[in-house]
Amino acid sequence: MQIMAETFLNGLMLGALYAVFGLGLSLSLGVMRMINIAHGDLIVVGAYLTSVVMSAIGIGPFAALVLVVPMMFGLGWVMQILLLNRVVGRDALAPLLLTFGLSIVLQNILQELFTADTRSLQAGDLASLGFEFGGVSIGVLPLLSTAASFALLGVTHWLIGHTHFGRQARAVSDDPDTARLVGVNDRRFFAVVTGFIFSLIGMAAVLYALRTPFSPTAGPERLLYSFEAVVLGGLGNIWGTLFGGLVIGVAQLFGAKISSGLGPFFGHLVFLIALLAFPQGLFRRSAS
Amino acid sequence: MTIALSSRMPSGSISRRIAVWSGLILFAVILAAVPWFSTFAVQRLLVEALTLFAIALAWNLLAGYGGLVAVGLHVFVGVGAYALFATSNQLHLNPWMLLPAAAVFAATFALISAWPMFRLSGAHFAVGTWVLAEMMRILTLNSPSLGAGGGMPLEAMGDFDRWTRNAGVYWAALMVGAGSLIVARAVLRGPLGLALMSVRDSEPAALASGVPVSRSKIALWVLCAAMTGLAGAVAYMNTLQVTPDASFSLNWTAAAIFIAVLGGIGTLEGPIVGTIVYFALREFFADYGAWYFIGMGLLAIATMVAAPGGAWSLLPQRWRFDPFRVRRLMPELGPDRHASTPALNHDL
Repeated sequence: MQIMAETFLNGLMLGALYAVFGLGLSLSLGVMRMINIAHGDLIVVGAYLTSVVMSAIGIGPFAALVLVVPMMFGLGWVMQILLLNRVVGRDALAPLLLTFGLSIVLQNILQELFTADTRSLQAGDLASLGFEFGGVSIGVLPLLSTAASFALLGVTHWLIGHTHFGRQARAVSDDPDTARLVGVNDRRFFAVVTGFIFSLIGMAAVLYALRTPFSPTAGPERLLYSFEAVVLGGLGNIWGTLFGGLVIGVAQLFGAKISSGLGPFFGHLVFLIALLAFPQGLFRRSAS
Repeated sequence: MTIALSSRMPSGSISRRIAVWSGLILFAVILAAVPWFSTFAVQRLLVEALTLFAIALAWNLLAGYGGLVAVGLHVFVGVGAYALFATSNQLHLNPWMLLPAAAVFAATFALISAWPMFRLSGAHFAVGTWVLAEMMRILTLNSPSLGAGGGMPLEAMGDFDRWTRNAGVYWAALMVGAGSLIVARAVLRGPLGLALMSVRDSEPAALASGVPVSRSKIALWVLCAAMTGLAGAVAYMNTLQVTPDASFSLNWTAAAIFIAVLGGIGTLEGPIVGTIVYFALREFFADYGAWYFIGMGLLAIATMVAAPGGAWSLLPQRWRFDPFRVRRLMPELGPDRHASTPALNHDL
């Protein structure tokens, strides 16, 4: 029973991270109607970037975010202006294939720069802290990471709902042509959105790299987990994505208890079953 | 009954037909005779090229004609290869005789997988098929009866001498490569091709005129799965050992996408041009390791941005002949006017 509770709790904490992975994917699907196949690889890029910043300046992972987030924003902005804006809106195929090519390029650049060895980020003393709660041991770092995930989801939800940026995003998402008519410069706005998505990726990358060692080829799996969280939760619904992420996280860890190699398999299986049972996602898109 | 306009073109004259057919037969004889005047290394390379061509053709049919972008097409490479290896090892049968079984197995798997996969559409379908491929990879990786991570050898191949083995695999690959081109051409000229092209041009319009949209798409999915499964089975007969990480590897789909994008999505000529370009680049640059893949990725990105129609679309309009006669033209228009409009002269 204790093991069950611990697995469940760990699954929830892992799932919250998947929800943050999915958040960026969900935004690009909602606002630009494109899926970024390189999404997972960019998470890995963020992790390596943090690792480089940490060792160059000699600071901790969270302090490094002060530099990593603006750098990721810049990278996203430039990538949208130079590359993605040329294919977005054409059809579903062009952005998909372009980002597929990007994914291969990123993986091989990382391999060339950092070799194929795995790396991890060190959280220092924080990593060893933990406490017992009702017989279940909880690490302080995973708990903080989960709190940060919830905070990121909450802040993004507030931004979409209550700011000028969010209003523009919803307008473009609902009807790009009309949004352009009323003065939204969608190409420039897309660059800001992609910059924002990349900043989210940077923060998710640190949370991810603190818990799991990463390597240049770790990206595609992150993409699949993000994708599952988004589709499971229902498009355009941030709290749906959170729920989807939690379901995948719990399924993976219980699957790994059944057979250590089959964790991700059970995550995928639950995704397929949920797809058959609820083709529209567990939550339909909310009216707002 | 559908009449593709190409049969009304003046190029269908008797003397021209004889010239085309004798050229084709001569070409086929030369290709079939390759094992007698080449090395094993050349044959192995040709097997790779022919099987990859069939996979790229299948990917291109799905994406270019069915609107089904499958990032996880490699699932059928693995399923086909494992079906062949497992049945041959279990039943101690000649693997060449079991190749049709591999195709049938892949097609059945596709039919079952269509149930969850076709709940998704567009980009979601694309990534969904990738999830499917990942699942099958993890499952075989954890199946001791299939050799788990180490995979399994094709035991029956030990019964044949080296020349027969190499030549036999080469002929099988030749059949797969040429066969999938012939099947693809026949499908595109037939009623399924007409249905698919109408869906590609406008799905709501096709639906409104009574085209069985989802049935056509599932038929194409199953057909392309059989082609890919067969190609995968032959590709692993060439290497004699199948492993989960290699056979269920995204690299298969990546190469197929590269070939289709470079050659031209939505044409039959595209994969032929693309396969030649792909293998030429690989022979020259593969030694550069990661830089080779970076270059390939950048080339694909540049193609998508600058010439989304691929190499085939860069040909000037009047040189863009239609060797496979799959293009459909309106009866009023001259044969030199390019149009992908479905033929109107079919008597239903």
